[in-house]
Amino acid sequence: MKKTMLESVLQLIVSGVAMGFIYALVGIEYTLVWNSTGLLNFSHDKFIMLSAYIFAGTFVIRMGLPPALGVLASLLVMFLFGVLVAVGIFNPLRSMASPIFAVMGTVVLGRIISELVRLIWGPIPFTLPNYLTGTYQIGNIIIGRVNVWIIVISSLLVASLQIFFKTTKTGKAMRCVQQNKKAATLMGIDVSKNIVFTIVLSSLVCTVIGMLVIPLFTVDTAMANMIGLKGFSSGVIGGFGYLPGVIAGGVFLGVLENFSTIVLPAVYKDCVGFVLMIIFLLVRPSGILGHRKNLR
Amino acid sequence: MKKVKIALMALILALLVAFPLFDSNLYHQQLMNQVFVNIIVVMGLNFITGLTGQMNLGTAGIFALGAYGSALTCTKLGTPVWLGFPIAIVIGFLIGRGLGYPSLRVKGVYLSLTTIGFSEVVRLILTNAIDFTGGSQGVQNIPFLNLFGFEFNTPFKIYYLYFALTIIMAIAAARIVSSKWGRVFKAIRDNSDAVEACGIDVANLKILAFTMAAVYGCIGGFLYTHMMGYINPTAFNQDLSVNYLVMMMIGGIGSVAGNILGAVMVTLLPEILRFMQNYYWLIFSIITLIFAVFLPYGIVSLFKKSERQERHFDIFHSIKKAREIWGGRIAK
Repeated sequence: MKKTMLESVLQLIVSGVAMGFIYALVGIEYTLVWNSTGLLNFSHDKFIMLSAYIFAGTFVIRMGLPPALGVLASLLVMFLFGVLVAVGIFNPLRSMASPIFAVMGTVVLGRIISELVRLIWGPIPFTLPNYLTGTYQIGNIIIGRVNVWIIVISSLLVASLQIFFKTTKTGKAMRCVQQNKKAATLMGIDVSKNIVFTIVLSSLVCTVIGMLVIPLFTVDTAMANMIGLKGFSSGVIGGFGYLPGVIAGGVFLGVLENFSTIVLPAVYKDCVGFVLMIIFLLVRPSGILGHRKNLR
Repeated sequence: MKKVKIALMALILALLVAFPLFDSNLYHQQLMNQVFVNIIVVMGLNFITGLTGQMNLGTAGIFALGAYGSALTCTKLGTPVWLGFPIAIVIGFLIGRGLGYPSLRVKGVYLSLTTIGFSEVVRLILTNAIDFTGGSQGVQNIPFLNLFGFEFNTPFKIYYLYFALTIIMAIAAARIVSSKWGRVFKAIRDNSDAVEACGIDVANLKILAFTMAAVYGCIGGFLYTHMMGYINPTAFNQDLSVNYLVMMMIGGIGSVAGNILGAVMVTLLPEILRFMQNYYWLIFSIITLIFAVFLPYGIVSLFKKSERQERHFDIFHSIKKAREIWGGRIAK
């Protein structure tokens, strides 16, 4: 079955979009934290890794739960974890004198998580057999089942997050906190509680990402490093702190990465995101959608 | 007070000079050499992050370029080993200029993203340009340093050479920190607009800070290469950058004495904690986190009492403040 030129291009676009949605989800997840606390969570890739371990390692393999129950159980565990981290670490860090200290705190938190994971689940990487495997074929274009799931779930998630931010009272309060913490306090919004809520939300999004990417990588402590960093890049490319921009940036990055394999050796695929991020920061810090007030 | 200080420093120096004579364990000596390399790199990082207040999470990239630059020229071209030193300085100068320029346009966490991007690109290129850098196999058989036919080929000999070099670099760094430059760097950290309003060229000074940091980092890389005799790209990952940042924070941000203390502690502490076997890295990370939350200005802040940030430095104040925050009484 020989593919035509158009079909090859379409194939690249489809798999690029699927990967791009993962980047976009990662980007959204840390944008949430950035918006509400003004901190970049440098440990968010570790959150993703942790949730993959909790889901695959504990609930599905050790306890033999069906994946649907496993999903609920992992969401619950990560919810509690999010509360713990928010109250214990993020709230104290956000009032530090310099952002350097906060960055330090989140980076070290990431180390602690990966160390705990190594102690609890052991250093040997593993995979989850028969989970979201298989492919669909449309014409000559092949798309993995996991990619379809990724696209569907992340679109749903993004849409519900947007609705949440625009319509509910909590969501509006979160946007207020993002804009001006002092004014939000004066309006009677409990900033600390709000931040706890955001961190919990972000850790839930991390759980979803973690469960979705299990079929793409083997489950090990470094599994999320690359997507974690590329989530940052897609945020910068699309426009920092702006949800639609982050999605656009993620999809753009995913597709561009796939196309770069045509002109560059495949091993340099990972460089594209970083180079693009640096270029964007220098030339157009507002991102492709151009939504950005000022750089802090 | 000053006499006590001088006596204490002399004592520490004497202990350090005598150390390899009493401890003939090669591993311990190698570890001390690693400490010296780390001290140099951290003192460099201090110029950017500690003094100018710009976040640099790409130390691993700078360090790796210094290490590879020297290793490749002397293994591929067969040039004298000492030529690596000026080469490291030139590479450092170029990186500093190259990274310093973005620092003018992007600030804070954005700069940390840029530098992460830089060091990841460096690592990916080093791993994948197999013909040139040897790929993940790395560069092997890197010659040791030599001086007039005398080869520094054992940890014992390297110890004294690196010790001397570290002292020179530390004196230079201390002079810079307390010079006009150092004071302007600190002023930029505190309020760069005000500095600019005083008619000082902030852009040039920021690039200068980056350049000096990169030169220190590359010299560290050069020394590391010729100490190990073998390098591969896996060592220069994000963890290394974080480690250097941890060293700076634990010791004391912005002070050379703090940098030295931090480098010594962070390099040696995991070895001391090794008796905990599996748990040692976890315990070490938790100690670091406690430091980051309770004592953000590092160990030296326990000894200083006169500067402006003193109230932040004070551990009792930190604990009180943290208690308030945890109690949820402060809403900033």
